Amino acid sequence: MKTFNLTNKVKIVLKHEYLSKVKTKSFLIGTFVAPLGIVALFGVLIAATFIFKDTTERKLAIVDQTEYLGQVLVDSDTSRYYLTDKSEEVLTKLTEDSKIDGYILIQEDILDSGNVPIYTQGGGGIGFTSLLEKNLSRIVRKERLKRSGTSDDVINLVDSGINLNTKKVTEEGIKDDKTEVLAYVGYALGFVIYMLMFLYGTHIFRSVLEEKSNRIIEIIVSSAKPFDILLGKVLGIGLVGLTQVFAWIAIVVILLTFAGQIAGAFIDIDPTTLQAGMTMQDAQTKQVEMMMSGIPEISPWLGIGFVFYFLAGYFIYSCLFAAVASAVDNEQDAQQLMVPITIPIIIPIALIPMIMANPDSVPAIVASLIPFFSPILMIVRIASTQVPIWQILASVVLLVSTFLGIIWLTAKIYRIGILMTGKKPTIKDFYKWIKMS
Amino acid sequence: MEILKLNSVSKYFGDYKATNDVSFSVQKGAIFGLLGPNGAGKTTIIRQITNIYYPDSGEILLFGESVSSKHQNMMGYLPEERGLYKKLKVIEQLIYFGELKGLSKKEAEKRARLWLIKLGANDWIDKKIQELSKGMQQKIQFISTILHDPEFLILDEPFSGFDPVNAELLKDIILELKSQGKTIILSTHVMSQVEELCDEIVLINRGKIILEGKVREIKKSFGRNNLKIEFDGSDEFLNGIDSSKIINRSNNSVEIKLENENEAKAIFSKIDNSTFIYKFELAEPSLHEIFINTVGINNLNEQEILEIQK
Repeated sequence: MKTFNLTNKVKIVLKHEYLSKVKTKSFLIGTFVAPLGIVALFGVLIAATFIFKDTTERKLAIVDQTEYLGQVLVDSDTSRYYLTDKSEEVLTKLTEDSKIDGYILIQEDILDSGNVPIYTQGGGGIGFTSLLEKNLSRIVRKERLKRSGTSDDVINLVDSGINLNTKKVTEEGIKDDKTEVLAYVGYALGFVIYMLMFLYGTHIFRSVLEEKSNRIIEIIVSSAKPFDILLGKVLGIGLVGLTQVFAWIAIVVILLTFAGQIAGAFIDIDPTTLQAGMTMQDAQTKQVEMMMSGIPEISPWLGIGFVFYFLAGYFIYSCLFAAVASAVDNEQDAQQLMVPITIPIIIPIALIPMIMANPDSVPAIVASLIPFFSPILMIVRIASTQVPIWQILASVVLLVSTFLGIIWLTAKIYRIGILMTGKKPTIKDFYKWIKMS
Repeated sequence: MEILKLNSVSKYFGDYKATNDVSFSVQKGAIFGLLGPNGAGKTTIIRQITNIYYPDSGEILLFGESVSSKHQNMMGYLPEERGLYKKLKVIEQLIYFGELKGLSKKEAEKRARLWLIKLGANDWIDKKIQELSKGMQQKIQFISTILHDPEFLILDEPFSGFDPVNAELLKDIILELKSQGKTIILSTHVMSQVEELCDEIVLINRGKIILEGKVREIKKSFGRNNLKIEFDGSDEFLNGIDSSKIINRSNNSVEIKLENENEAKAIFSKIDNSTFIYKFELAEPSLHEIFINTVGINNLNEQEILEIQK
C-alpha cells in the first residue's frame, strides 16, 4: 500500500481550507465590492471638491504705492489683477456697491512689514486667499532678496527652485507635507494589518471550533498529525488573506491608472491660460499630473514590508487564536481566554499616533521591535521615516523566531485541546497540556 | 494472522488509569467486539490504535509494525461521535476525507459516486450536509470511513441513527467487507448485534479487560442454565420459584436462571393441562446477560441497561 509523506497531508488541509473560504460570498464581497465601495466614496469626495470649487472669477484692483510691485503682480496673472489710479475712498465705495470685486493696497513699506491689506465684500474662501498670498509672497521675497544685494543669478536660482516646487505641490513646505502624508499612509497600512489579523484570526478560530464542536476533528486526527492539520489550516487561511491583499493592491493600481482620466473630466481650464499649441485635453492632463504628484511616491519596499508584516502578524496571532479555539467548546467559553490575545493586538493601535509623531525615538524603536507589536508598528515607521536596515532585520528575526516558538506551543495545546470536551479550560490547563505532550 | 496486537497497553490521564494493562489481538478477517459500559475506556483504546493518543506503556502493533501516522491511511475509523462539515456538499465532503486518507482527488470522487449509488444516496450528491436528515448524514459518514478501502476498520456504534431497513443494509455491507477479508473492530452497546456479527470479544470495565474470548466459547462457558418457556393459560407452575431467579417475565413468556437441570425437571412436572406450552427450552445465556452479570449491575445506570436490552 502506498504511504504518503506528511507534507502531502498539510497540502490537502491547506487546499481544503483555501478553497472552502475563497468560494464564500463574504470573501468575494470583502475582496471586490468593499474596495470599490471605498474608492467610489473617495471619488465622490474628490469630485465634490471640484464641483464646489470657486467658480466666481474675482478680479482685484491694485493700488500700488511702491510704483513697481503692482505691475509685477499684474504681470503674474492678468486675469486676476489690474492696476488702478483711483483713490482708496473711491475703490471702497465701488466695492461696497459691488461695482468691483475688491482691491489690494500695496503699501510702501510692504517689504519690511509684509502686511497687505485687502478689501473685499468678504469671503472668497481659502482657495482664493491662499492663491493671492502665494502670488504676493513670491514677489515680495524676490524684492527683499534684491534689496539686500543678492545677485540676480542667486535670485533666479531661488526663484526657479520655488517654481519647481510649486509645480509639484503648489504650496510651500513640501518636505513636511509629504512626511505627513506618508505617515498617514503608514497609519492606514498599520490599521489594515490590524484588521486583517483580527479578521483572519477569527477565521482560524471559527474553523478550529467548527471541527471541534461538530466532532469532525476525531476523523481528521485519525487521518493526519495534529501539527500537520494546524499548519495546513494556518497556511491555507493565510493564503486566503494574501489573495485578498493582492486583489486589493491590483484594484488600487488599476483604479489609480484610470483615476487621472476620471479626475480630468472634472477639471475646468480657463481657455485664456492655454499655452500656444496646447489643447484643452493637454491642459487637463497637465493639471491632473500636478494633482497626482501631490500623492507621494510609494516605494515598492513599503509594499513588500506590508505583505511581510501582515503575514508575520497573521501567523503569530492565528496560532494563538487556534490554541484558544482548540481548548473551548463554544464561543462563550472563549471570551475570557481571548483577552490576553486581543490586548497585544490593540496596544500598537493606541501607540500609532506617538510613533507617527516621533518615529525615530527610542521608545518607538523598542515598541516596533516587540514581536507582538512589530507587524503594526514597524510598517508605520517604515512609511514615516527611514528605518535603519538593522532594525528591520532584527524585527524579521524576532518575528520568525516568535512564530516558530508559538506554533510549537500551539501544536501541543491543540493536540490535547481538540479532544477535550465538557470543561471550560483555564490558562493553567494550557500549561499542563504543554507539559503533557 | 494477527492484524492488530496490543501488548500490555496502559494510558494515564493524570492519576487516572484510562487503559490498564490491556492486551488482545485481532485476527485477519474477523469481526472483533470491543465492549464495555460507558466510560469504560473503549474510546481511549480506539484512539491509541488510530494513533490519536500514544500509549504511556506497552505497544500496539498493526500489520506487525508499531503503529504510527503512516498506518493512518490503512485504517477506517467511524467514531461514535461523528460529524461532517455542515456547509460542504456531500461530494466535496467525501473527496476531502478521501484525500486525507491518501486517495487522489479523481479516485476519491469516482469511489464516492459508486458508494452513493450503492447506498441509494445518489440524489444528495450536490446537497449540503446541513440539508440532510440525520440518517442520511450517517450514511455519508459511513461512506467516508470505507472510501479508501482500508484493510482495517474500527466502527464505533455504526448502527446508531439508522432505521431498521438501513441498519439491515449496513449489516450486509459489514458482512460483505468481512467476506473480502477486511478486519473489523466493532464497538457497540447493542448485544444482539454482537451476537449476530462478532467472532470474538473483549469486555472492558474501568480500563481493564474483564472478559475475553470467542463469543461461542464465552456463552458455552456460562453453561446451558437458562430456561425459556413460552406458554398460554395459567402461570401457576411459576409459583414457588424464587423471583430473583426470574430474568425476564412477560405476559406469555418467562426466562429463568437455573442452578442445574434438575430444577428444570421440577418446573416441568408442575405444569398441568391448564397451561399450554409452545416452547420449553434450556438455552445459553444471552450476551447481554453475561455483560450485565460480568460488569455488575451496580456499575450500570438505567440508560445503559435499556440500551443493552434493545
